[in-house]
Formats: sequence, structure tokens, C-alpha cells
Amino acid sequence: MAKLKILAIFLVTISLLACSCQPAKEASGVFISGTSAGDAETLNWILAADSASFGYAGHTVDSLVTYDNDWNVRLHCAARDIEVSEDGLVYTVVIRDDLRWSDGSPVTAEDYVYTLKNLMFSDWLNYPYKSDWQEEVGGEAVFITPEVVDETTFSLIRQTVDPEFVYNVRTLVPYPKYIAVKYEGDVKAFTEAPEFNNLTYTGNLGPYKFLEWVRNDKFVLERNPEYYLAKDVGAPYFEQYIIKMFGTAATLHAALEAGDITYTGIDPAKMGKFREMDWINVYTVPTRSCLLLAYNQRDNGWAGLKQKEVRQALSMAIDKELIVEQVLYGFGEPAFSFIPKPSPWYMEEGLAKYGVGPLLDKETAKERLLELGYAVKTADGSIEVRDEEGKPLKLTLVTNAGNEVNEDVCHLIREELATIGIEVELKFVPWATELRKYLMNKIPGTDQEPRYNNGVGAVSEEPWDMLVILFNTHPLSPSGSDVFYSTKGGLNFWGFFNPQVDGLFRQAKSAEALDEEVRREIYAELSVLMSEEQPVDFLAFQLANAGFQSNVRGIEPGVNMGYNYHLWYFE
Amino acid sequence: MKKTWLRDYIIKRLLYAIIIAWGILTVTFVLLRIGPTSPADKYLANLAARGQDAAQVIAAVEARYGLDQPIYAQYLNYIGNLVRGDWGWSFSTSMPVMELIQTHWIYSFQLILLSSIFAGIIGILIGIYSAVRQYSKTDYIATFFSFIGISIPNFWLGVMLILLFAVQFGLFKTYYDTSLPLFSLANLKQLILPVITLGTGMLAGYTRYTRSAMLDNLRKEFVRTARAKGLPERTVIGKHVFRNAILPLITIIMFDLGSIVFGGAYLTEIVFGIPGLGQISFNAIFADDYAVVVAVTLIAAFLILMINLVTDITYTYLDPRIRYD
Repeated sequence: MAKLKILAIFLVTISLLACSCQPAKEASGVFISGTSAGDAETLNWILAADSASFGYAGHTVDSLVTYDNDWNVRLHCAARDIEVSEDGLVYTVVIRDDLRWSDGSPVTAEDYVYTLKNLMFSDWLNYPYKSDWQEEVGGEAVFITPEVVDETTFSLIRQTVDPEFVYNVRTLVPYPKYIAVKYEGDVKAFTEAPEFNNLTYTGNLGPYKFLEWVRNDKFVLERNPEYYLAKDVGAPYFEQYIIKMFGTAATLHAALEAGDITYTGIDPAKMGKFREMDWINVYTVPTRSCLLLAYNQRDNGWAGLKQKEVRQALSMAIDKELIVEQVLYGFGEPAFSFIPKPSPWYMEEGLAKYGVGPLLDKETAKERLLELGYAVKTADGSIEVRDEEGKPLKLTLVTNAGNEVNEDVCHLIREELATIGIEVELKFVPWATELRKYLMNKIPGTDQEPRYNNGVGAVSEEPWDMLVILFNTHPLSPSGSDVFYSTKGGLNFWGFFNPQVDGLFRQAKSAEALDEEVRREIYAELSVLMSEEQPVDFLAFQLANAGFQSNVRGIEPGVNMGYNYHLWYFE
Repeated sequence: MKKTWLRDYIIKRLLYAIIIAWGILTVTFVLLRIGPTSPADKYLANLAARGQDAAQVIAAVEARYGLDQPIYAQYLNYIGNLVRGDWGWSFSTSMPVMELIQTHWIYSFQLILLSSIFAGIIGILIGIYSAVRQYSKTDYIATFFSFIGISIPNFWLGVMLILLFAVQFGLFKTYYDTSLPLFSLANLKQLILPVITLGTGMLAGYTRYTRSAMLDNLRKEFVRTARAKGLPERTVIGKHVFRNAILPLITIIMFDLGSIVFGGAYLTEIVFGIPGLGQISFNAIFADDYAVVVAVTLIAAFLILMINLVTDITYTYLDPRIRYD
């Protein structure tokens, strides 16, 4: 026994020595993240429409919870994960008690509730994303009810069940009540408030503090030694964190190659070159992006597209692996589901895999169109695709101009459909034009306000048949995709109406789906149904490439690669 | 005598400039507001994706920016604020428009100034030399490179210079660093590649124009007379030929200056990441940031009018026969 004790003491001593011998990481250097995606609009994030603005502010103020690469919850401002009552109607949030604003006062539950009630839900501020906090009760959209429980606890009370509302709650970020009250009710004063535009209130809430913002040039942050999550370990380990804007991808890549920046995303076409550079580490990671080919099933699209079998035939003629190889240079995977592949809800079992394997068959596609009356057999036995009037079929394919990937996909689809005798006219239009003239619709002859889905009978200003678009959907809450695929969905611009799909989406948002196993089954059924219905042809899931200077350590490649970025360091 | 008519002329032109600038401001203001796009467009996709009623939010966002008022009310409000020195709030950059312009004009100005000096001096010298040594090897080489210089697109040249001198040789940074002091050698050094990029096309043009203007004058009677009088060749070329050739050159240089102030410099700013007014105004146009677009257009219009005025005044000093009374 005594020997064991001695051995135990010896092992503990050795381990302590080993720990103490490890050099402590010290903050050093400047991490420069290069981007060509454009500058943010505002640091007053509640007014923002763009993701860059949320991203900038996010370096200085944490949300309640984030996720690691395996979607495990990582607590940030929350002291423990959000508790959901058994009936799915009450969400209880407990925040840490060591959160501080810049004036030293504690961040309290009152700040969160004030942010929701007095800012996000207010009429004077017009928070654009207020619908995230609304539910439909008796045919009307009403706000959920936030309530302060005590200094560090607040609750959010719903009247209807939404099993995936918790993912929304986890993203909550507070405004300081003691500052915001000064501007309450005056949108101009709030918009121009120096505290919010210079992030002077952020205290110990984020790994970095705002230092400087030169518009269209750089956003500079300095390390926050008081950061509540890491002050015990001396993190963050970069003295400064800079987001540097570039006007072109060519100069952005040149800057990474020359070592003038620390990190940037790399275009697939340049990957071969960067992989050969031993001073650059390149990581390929999954994304939530999916390239889609939308079929117009409204009255101003080709009538055939209203038939599931026609959509299947077209999807059967488009080679998805070719798109992955030729357009995405191999950095993608054929897609068959509306749920992004990195999602924990994603499953492949039973999916109809149009565009690969046995369901990539141009001859069968033509035969199906013949059976449906959209083709004729000529004297030599060959099949020629025709429209209702017996003329060669000509379809219009639209995408937003300037998006190289989308344009290349369009060219490839034109070639693919040409092989089954369908002529495709390409239209590349500016993004705003695409939104207003091709996506928004209204019932002709009415004074309806154009919306993305004005119901059955509504058509867009310009006719179109197919449209290539990139979707980013949240991997954790696929039920949110009902806006695209359900009859009343706000972004169902292509006019896909299917009661069975509507029913399954309703089920995914009902009380029974609080049970994760039940929800999984619903999503499995929905995925299979959608892959057969082909409301759109899911073309490819994109992969992203991230290039870092090789002296950066601590990176964990994955779908949420930056989740631990405050622990990254220079070797 | 000259002083009186010149003063009257300047006052008259300044008054015209104010009226023209006001006209341009009004046209720009109206065109922006009756255009098919709105600052709320940026919300469209995100809102719909979240199931929100886009029409309702567009109305709310436009109300936030005061765009729900009748156009004449917006216009009177804008002019009233302008007179009080308030140029408005830029909602695409979240800062007052005046502060935005004050912060960024210098980046464009230094680039344009240095490029013009670089192109003007070298271009004119090569042009004179080419004209005097017409059909010599030097003239052919200068002509050859001038045509290349005119044909090379700015953005391509800029990227090539970066790849060669910044990436391959490591002589420069790949982008413009705004943290360096403006009046420092380091800043001057980092402007070398942008100045070459913006100045090459201008330099090539000036070379051709100078050569052509010099050749026109070299063939004239007064040159023969000057030579016959036994004047040294340097005096003939410098004092007689060049002085006559410079008038059309001034017009071209000033015209160039006007066109690059907010247009030509933009691509160079993009390539080198220089946050000048070119970039600011370009982004503002795409963001429908009306306050910035109107302000930059107004300043550009006024500057061009002033450049024209300076050009006209310069003529009277270079050629005393010119009068505007």
C-alpha cells in the first residue's frame, strides 16, 4: 500500500513537472485574415443586413453558445445549455455571472430581455430579422415573451412548439441597457450612437476589442486580456486580429503566397498551386452551401416542369459528378437532399440519386419525356424532345451575373441538356434584377405587393424555366427549409406545392418532434420524398479550402473551424 | 487691364460652376430615387429566407432612411442639410458622409498626383525626344512601348507587377498598408507599383501626344526662321516649339486628370487595396447609398469644373493672345 502511495506521489510529481516545463503560450504577432467578400456595413449589428457586420461585431461580443466541428455545444456567455421545458414552451437561459460591460457593470438577464423586448421587438427600430422571434398564433404573428427570472436567469415563453427554436436562442447577443436607453425611440440617434458604432461597450464579452476600422480597407482588433473565457490561460494569443479587404481574388491569393496575410479562403482552381507551398497549410472542410437548379413550376415556366416525371427526366440528364469535377475542381460532392451534408440530420438511405449512377441516363431521360408526350420518335428510331406544340424544346436558364461558379454550372447544364435535344438559352442578370424580376411574383392584374411567394397563380415579371442558385441552410434546423419547399413558404419562388411535404414540415415543427428520434424519422421521410419529387435538382454540396501560414497552430479543421480561434497561436 | 477681365471671367465661371454643380446634384438625386433598386434590396434574400414579409420590411427600412417621404420633401431636406454643412449619414459604411470623404480623399489624391507627375514628366520628355529624333531607333522603341502602354489594361498590369515584384522578388508588400504614415518614405515606396500601374497608360498617351504636337510645330515657318536666325537648337526646341506644342497637351493632361479623379483610379485602388474615393463611391453605388453617391458626384463635378477653369486660365498665361472678354 505504501509502495502504491509512493508510486502515486511520484507520478503526480512527474506530471506536475511535465506541465510546468511546457512553455506557457504568450500572446504575440498579428493575425491577418484576408477577404474579398466586401466590407461590413455597421458595427451596430442590430441594424445590419449583411453577414460581415455580424462577423465583425462577433469578435468582440460572444453569443450564448457556439458549436464545435461535431456540433457539440460549447458554452460561451451561457453558464449551462438552454433548458427546454417538457412541453417545449419555456426556454430558460442562465448566463455566467462574470460577464462585464466596459464600465465594469455586470451583464445581466435584464440586458438580454431589454434587447429582445425594447430593441428587437420594437416598432421604432424595425429590426429586420424580428420574425426569428415570432410565432403564428391564431393566424397572426406574435412575439415570444421574454421574462427576467433573476440577475442571471431569464426565460422565453412560447405559445406554440418549435423544436428547433433553441438553436435561435443560442445565438442571442445582448445590447447594454444602460447605454441603449439613451437612444430608445430615436432611430437616427440609435443608428449614429458612437458607443455602438465603435463597440466601446463590449467589456470582457469577446476575445478581442475594437481598435480601428478603415472602410474598404481593414478592421483591426486588439486582444482582450480580460476575456472571460480565456483569461486563465492567457488567451487569445494574437496581439492583434485584422480583417483585411481585397478587391480581387488574384491579389488576395498573392498576399497569402507572399506571407503578407495569415489566412484566407482559396479558390478551388488555385488549390494545386497552394498545396505545393510548404509554408502554407491548406485545409479542405465541408460547408453548408448547396448548388441548386430550380425548376419554375409557376404558370410562366414551361408547363412540363409542373410534372414530377419531367423534372426527374431533366435531373437524370445532368451529370452531377461532372459539375463537381469541372466546375468545383473536385471540391464538392453530388447532392441529393435539402439537408446539408455536415448536418447531424443528414442521411442518404433511400434517396433517389438523380444525376449519378443508374439515375444518370440520358437515353432513359428521353424515353421518359417520350412517354409523357414531350418527345417524338423519328423514322430512324431516335427520340427528339418537343414542346406541347411539337417544336424543339427551348428553355431559359437564369443565374446572377458575375458569379463565376453559377455561370459555369449554367454552361455545363446547357451542354448536358443539349445532348438530349433541349436547347437552353442562358440569361445572366444582376442580383437585384434576379430578385425583383425573376424571383418575386404576384398574381397578374392584382395590386398585390410582389413577394417571393404570392401563392398559386402568381408569376414573376420575367418568364424563366430554370435557375441556378446557391443556398446556405442551417445544418441544425432543417425544418427552417419549409420557407423554400412548403406551399406557404416565404421563399418558395419556384411554386412547388405538395401537401405531403407541407405535412411533414408541419410535423417537424410539432410537439412530437421534440423527441429527436421522431424528428430524425420525419427528416428521413422528407429527404426521400423531396429527392423523388425533385422540386429542384440538388446539384452539389460545396467544400471550402482554407489556407493558413504554416506557423499557425491550434486549428481544428471542420465545418465550424473557427469555434476555438481564440486559442490559435503562432509557433 | 488683363487683371480686370480675368477676374470677371473667373467670377462668372465660378457662378456657372455652382449652377452646373447644383444641376448635377439635382439630376443625380432624382435619378437615384426613381431607379428600380432600393437600399432595402440588400435585405431581400435574407428576409425571405427567414420567412419574413419582404414588402413590409422594405417599407420599414425605407422609413428608417427617410425614403418614405415624397421625393421633393427628401430633396428639400437634403439641400437644407447640405447648406448647414451636413452631408448626411452613409448607411453602407455607418459614418457621416463628410467624415468618410475626409478620411479617404487623400488616398486617391496622392495616387493621382504622383501618377500624373510620373506620367507627365517622363511622357513629355520621351515625346520631345521622339519628335526631335523622328524615325530614329529611339523613336521606334518609344513608339513601340507607347502602344503597349496604351493597350495594357490597368488591372492586368497591376496584378502582374504584384506577382513579379511583391510575390517573386519580395520587394514590396502585396497591398497598400494604411498604417504607414502618409508623409514617409515607406509610404512613397509602397506607392511605386500603384503609380506605375495608373501612370503607364497616361505616360504612353502623353508620349504620343507630345510627339505629335512637337512634330506639327517643328514643320512650321517660325521654327525655320528661328533656326535661320542662328538660335541654338535647345532654344528652338524648348522655347519656341515646345511652348507652342504645350497648349493642346495641357488640355489633354487636364482632361485626363478629370477623368481619372473618380473613374480611372478606381481599378488601381481595387488591385492594390487602396481605400480611396474610387472604391468608396463604387461600393456606394452598388449599396444604393444615396448620400455618398450624391456627395461624391457633386465633388467630382465641381472638381472637373475647377480643372477646366484652371486650364482656361493657364492658356492665357501660355499664350497671351488668348482673351476671354
